Amino acid sequence: MFTHKKSVWLFLLPGGLGLMFFYIVPFIGGVYYSLTDGSYRNAFVGMDNYVAIWKNQMFVLGLKNTMELSLICAPLVWVLSFAIASLLNRLRPRGAFFRNSVLLPYLMPSSAMLLIWLVIFDYGGVVNRLATAMGFARVIWLQGSALRVPVVLLFVWKNLGFAVIIFLAALQAIPEPLYEYARLEGAGFWRQTFGITLPMIVPTAFLIIILEWINAFKIFKEVYFIGGAYPDESVYTLQNYMNNMYGKLNYQNVTTAAYSFALIVFALFGALFLTQRQLLKRLS
Amino acid sequence: MEKLTYRQPGGKIITRALLMLLAILMLVPVAVTFLYSFFSPSEIKAFMQTRGSYDDKAWMAIKLSPQIFSLSQYYEILIRDTSILRMFVNSAFYTVLILLGQAVVVPMMAYALSRFRFRGRDALFFGIIMLMLLPFQVTMVPNVLTLRSIGLLNTIWAVVMPMWFAPFYIFLIRQFMLGLPNELLEAAQVDGAGTIRCYAHIVIPVCRPIIGAAVALSFADCWNLVEQPMTYLSQRVDLQPLSVMFNQLASESAGIEFAGAAIYILPALFIYLYFLKDILAGVQLTELK
Repeated sequence: MFTHKKSVWLFLLPGGLGLMFFYIVPFIGGVYYSLTDGSYRNAFVGMDNYVAIWKNQMFVLGLKNTMELSLICAPLVWVLSFAIASLLNRLRPRGAFFRNSVLLPYLMPSSAMLLIWLVIFDYGGVVNRLATAMGFARVIWLQGSALRVPVVLLFVWKNLGFAVIIFLAALQAIPEPLYEYARLEGAGFWRQTFGITLPMIVPTAFLIIILEWINAFKIFKEVYFIGGAYPDESVYTLQNYMNNMYGKLNYQNVTTAAYSFALIVFALFGALFLTQRQLLKRLS
Repeated sequence: MEKLTYRQPGGKIITRALLMLLAILMLVPVAVTFLYSFFSPSEIKAFMQTRGSYDDKAWMAIKLSPQIFSLSQYYEILIRDTSILRMFVNSAFYTVLILLGQAVVVPMMAYALSRFRFRGRDALFFGIIMLMLLPFQVTMVPNVLTLRSIGLLNTIWAVVMPMWFAPFYIFLIRQFMLGLPNELLEAAQVDGAGTIRCYAHIVIPVCRPIIGAAVALSFADCWNLVEQPMTYLSQRVDLQPLSVMFNQLASESAGIEFAGAAIYILPALFIYLYFLKDILAGVQLTELK
């Protein structure tokens, strides 16, 4: 560890300047926009913009959809990736092919995958063929509220792999003697899972749910690929709202929406941090 | 149970079967994209036109082999009409510029945050974590305000510059650098190396796996850019990367879209193969909590 070195400023300079210039200073400066009315006088209006935006149906719809979609995607990726990592862990030290093929989509541009998605989720596509073969009726996947299914699946397809390898690394880091000792003491599978595996991976599990949640807020991408710039109401996200307001140069609404969302996000993650701390305390 | 089956080879059959099914689901979309890129444009056009029919008796055909194996989709996009190729070049341009900038900024910041003690370090790191937690919908606002005031909106720098300071990669590399043994740098200091020598000759080479992983992950981000070009370049259709155009290509369906997708996947495939080991090692060796 270097102390009292002037050269630290050299290393901090490019990144620090950039962060200041592009994020921190304008972030604070932007508060001004959210508190003024945007007219030529730019009068101070206090919290009026915030009150107005919560009455704006499109903002509320976008926020609701973004929250709902991220609450579907993040836990789905979380649970699936843990299950897959556990399966892979059983094949140790083999199973590299499976691990590598799960990771592949993470590097793939999901934009290019859209074509295949449109084909398989078509009304006459493979998914509906499977559905009718199993005795269900066909579903119109690419319109209306069912649009969420291909959108979520495209997200899961792409993002599963990275979470799997993080989980797998955590599972492999648990020392094997712990299990051997537990078995000597007569602990069964469930006792081992709840007594050793789960407590050991709590920090990792927490990291993954956070990372996936941040990622899932960006689900606008998948919505845009499949639903276009003006998608169905069921997948109209906050980003759609922001783009519309931004297109109209309505900076008051853009900043107000962003800061409202930021408050919600910080409240959520703050609650998650506290939960994790409590959980770790109880487990140890 | 788990540990019993661990000893019985037969017990792994179900595990293998499940993972095989999963691997197929993961790989098939990529494989089919490549397969369809070798169909003739007219066949693809006819095939894509059977989409969107709500006739309960009709199905889309399941096509697994072309009537004639053809490279004419590639001929169309690479030689005859290069508009797709131009957007591909845009994508490549953004990706290279972003990665170059990140290569300068990110490891230096991570080094300062992990190997130095200075006033305000914890506050700075906390700020970076907060920034990492903020979704794009929030960070786009400060970015837009700055870009607008310096007149960079609707230029390529609007997409490129804010990405140079991506907090996630600073976090990732810092976590790895924290785990480096102190003896490594102390030995170099005894030999008279300063902080800059230590950085260039020891820290960077040792961090090879995590830097490789960060390059690959950042590439994946850059190659799939959507939000930034759509907002920051909303008035410049000519500057859009290929990733935002597939929606339009599919709805127009000129029969060449699969070759477009295939050439777009190809660089990502190379990056994946080249950095696979680094990603795995980087994740394994980093204390990510």
